[in-house]
Amino acid sequence: MKGKMKLSVAARREENWGWIMVAPTIIGLVILNIWPFLQTLYASFCEHLGFGFYKFVGFQNYINMFQDPEFWKATWNTIYFCILTVPVGIFLSLLVAILLNAKVKGKGFFRSVFFLPMVCAPAAITMVWRWIFNSEYGILNQMFGAHINWITDSKVVMVTCAVVAIWSAIGYDAVLLLAGLQNISKSYYEAAEIDGAGKITQFFHITLPMVSPTLFVVLIMRLMSSMKVYDLIYMMVEDTNPALSSVQSLMYLFYRESFVAGSRGYGSAIVIWTVLLIGIVTVIQFVGQKKWVNYEV
Amino acid sequence: MKKIRPMAAVILAITLFASLSGCGASDGKTHLTFQIWDVAQRDGMQAICDAYTAQHPDVVIEVQVTSWSEYWTKLEAAAESNTMPDLFWMHTNQILYYSDFGKLADLTDLYNGEDPNYYTEHFSEISLDNARGNNGRLYGVPKDKDNICLVYNKEMFDAAGVAYPDESWTWDDLTAASAQIHSATGKYGYMAYADEQLGYWNFVYQAGGCILTEDKTQGGFDQQATKDAMKFYIDLQKNDWCPDQAYFAETSPGTAFFSEVGAMFLEGNWNLMAEMKDYPNMQGKWDVAVLPKCPTPVSGDGRATISNGLCYSTSATGKHLELTKDILKYFGSEEAQRIQGEYGAAIPAYNGLEESWISAFDQFEAKLNLDIVIDQFDYCVQNVNNTSRPKWKAPVNDELIKIYSGQVDFDTGLANIQSIINNASAASSN
Repeated sequence: MKGKMKLSVAARREENWGWIMVAPTIIGLVILNIWPFLQTLYASFCEHLGFGFYKFVGFQNYINMFQDPEFWKATWNTIYFCILTVPVGIFLSLLVAILLNAKVKGKGFFRSVFFLPMVCAPAAITMVWRWIFNSEYGILNQMFGAHINWITDSKVVMVTCAVVAIWSAIGYDAVLLLAGLQNISKSYYEAAEIDGAGKITQFFHITLPMVSPTLFVVLIMRLMSSMKVYDLIYMMVEDTNPALSSVQSLMYLFYRESFVAGSRGYGSAIVIWTVLLIGIVTVIQFVGQKKWVNYEV
Repeated sequence: MKKIRPMAAVILAITLFASLSGCGASDGKTHLTFQIWDVAQRDGMQAICDAYTAQHPDVVIEVQVTSWSEYWTKLEAAAESNTMPDLFWMHTNQILYYSDFGKLADLTDLYNGEDPNYYTEHFSEISLDNARGNNGRLYGVPKDKDNICLVYNKEMFDAAGVAYPDESWTWDDLTAASAQIHSATGKYGYMAYADEQLGYWNFVYQAGGCILTEDKTQGGFDQQATKDAMKFYIDLQKNDWCPDQAYFAETSPGTAFFSEVGAMFLEGNWNLMAEMKDYPNMQGKWDVAVLPKCPTPVSGDGRATISNGLCYSTSATGKHLELTKDILKYFGSEEAQRIQGEYGAAIPAYNGLEESWISAFDQFEAKLNLDIVIDQFDYCVQNVNNTSRPKWKAPVNDELIKIYSGQVDFDTGLANIQSIINNASAASSN
């Protein structure tokens, strides 16, 4: 037997067409993602002098970064934001998905309602939430006669942002989970009912294991986007806000360093750190999933 | 049949690509873009461009408005890739940075053909300084000049039985009137918030202090006059009649003022026209006054107001440099500057055209005491600036917010501000 498999002419032609077909995506990926990533990596070892002129400074940006309390605060803020938003968000999405999967009247209407936040511009959404949360004139404080500084109290502001983040993400996650739920064959439930299993037992022994692959995908995506949170916080908390340091995420810090202060080298170092952080978390998740994700149908 | 399909796809792709790259002007005219950040001035700018293109029918100028916050990100990216707009506004915050890197065309000799002294004859020294690079050359044609005035609510003063602010007012009158208005009406008095140009800068210079030293290499926050003025200004928020910084993070003083919850705030004259138009119900209820003076200045007479000015610039490496220079020459002419004034947003930099800005307010029945804005130019201070200003602006603001929120005490905070400015200035002078 020969070690190499020989392809027929037809098969090779098919292979070439395969390459041509994926070329647009691959080229786009290289030009738009991989090349800028390499540039960012290089920039993180440089000092930005202005207008795209860089000076190589070795690890100086990283040394400065690890000595900066503001950076560690931003790292913690990012992790804290994930802790607040991801578990609650995914739990609520699953709940919504199950409710939308049930036999209720006006199912289509509710599905669109929950998906609506996804369609609206994030900036517009945040503007409305800011009015709701306004401590003096906002509807929330007016309704409850309270005087909570939702956006400017350093202890509360992160929770406020988390509420808005969860609210805007539920619809999207729920639709993904809904698709997962609908793939579960009815026969499992019928068999379980004959065996006398209750609704709760059915949920834990049929629904949850069967939807776990989708749940895993949603978890990874939600965690990644939570670690990259920027626009929401940027819109909610301006730089005149005394609570900024309690809510400033890594990406917000990166924006302020790179584009407000012009230190793009330092900003790039923050980005590389965030990429590492996301990488570590994702690896942990992939190792952990073996314990709870069920791929058998 | 089947063989033709891939070929057809390739041909289709090529034609698509060709038609995309062929998108260009084909009317034989030169198309130029003019980038600005203030939507309130779009019509005025368009009118000036129209006046130019009426004389030069082979040129088309498109005015593009980008928001202030995006403007600088966009312009810097464009400067890096050599795709700057043909004409654009330049701000004192940034002009030194851009000109040091050779991004702006040198316009010092623009009028040499007509009159070598054109600039000094028609523009004030402050206007010209706002358009100069570190090397003393001019990188912009002065566009406008502005200063800061005190805006007050007449009804609240009447209700509290307090006389309107005038030239005799000092800081003490400001706080006394605020306290009286607050106890009589329950409204806020003077709304002092963490802002430089529309806030503490004015107070620092009134007290005889400074933000940057004369040679622009060091901060002035170690000087006693600066410290005293900062202390006075920051402590204003400790009064019942002034909202705190948390309030201002959600509600700007302007919004609070025109919602009739506060009696006074500092405003730049460039916003007055928009505020007359945007709040028609408020017309006649408010007026403007000179800034109150410092009662105990270390030097000077206690009067100061920050004056800034924009200029028109063009790229040093633009494709149509000769043409854009000719347009800039027109932008600096009396005719173009008058058109700008008549649209009311900004006071023309050109000397003697101040009245054209005031006359733009004739359209309103309610009158504002706009003469005081012109009078204030007699003792105005140039907007604070050095090359590293873009680098220290945000960190200084962050530190100030920390003082306001009590995260650092006053003396440490001011010392930090001083070292932020000194370090940034030292780094950029290397």
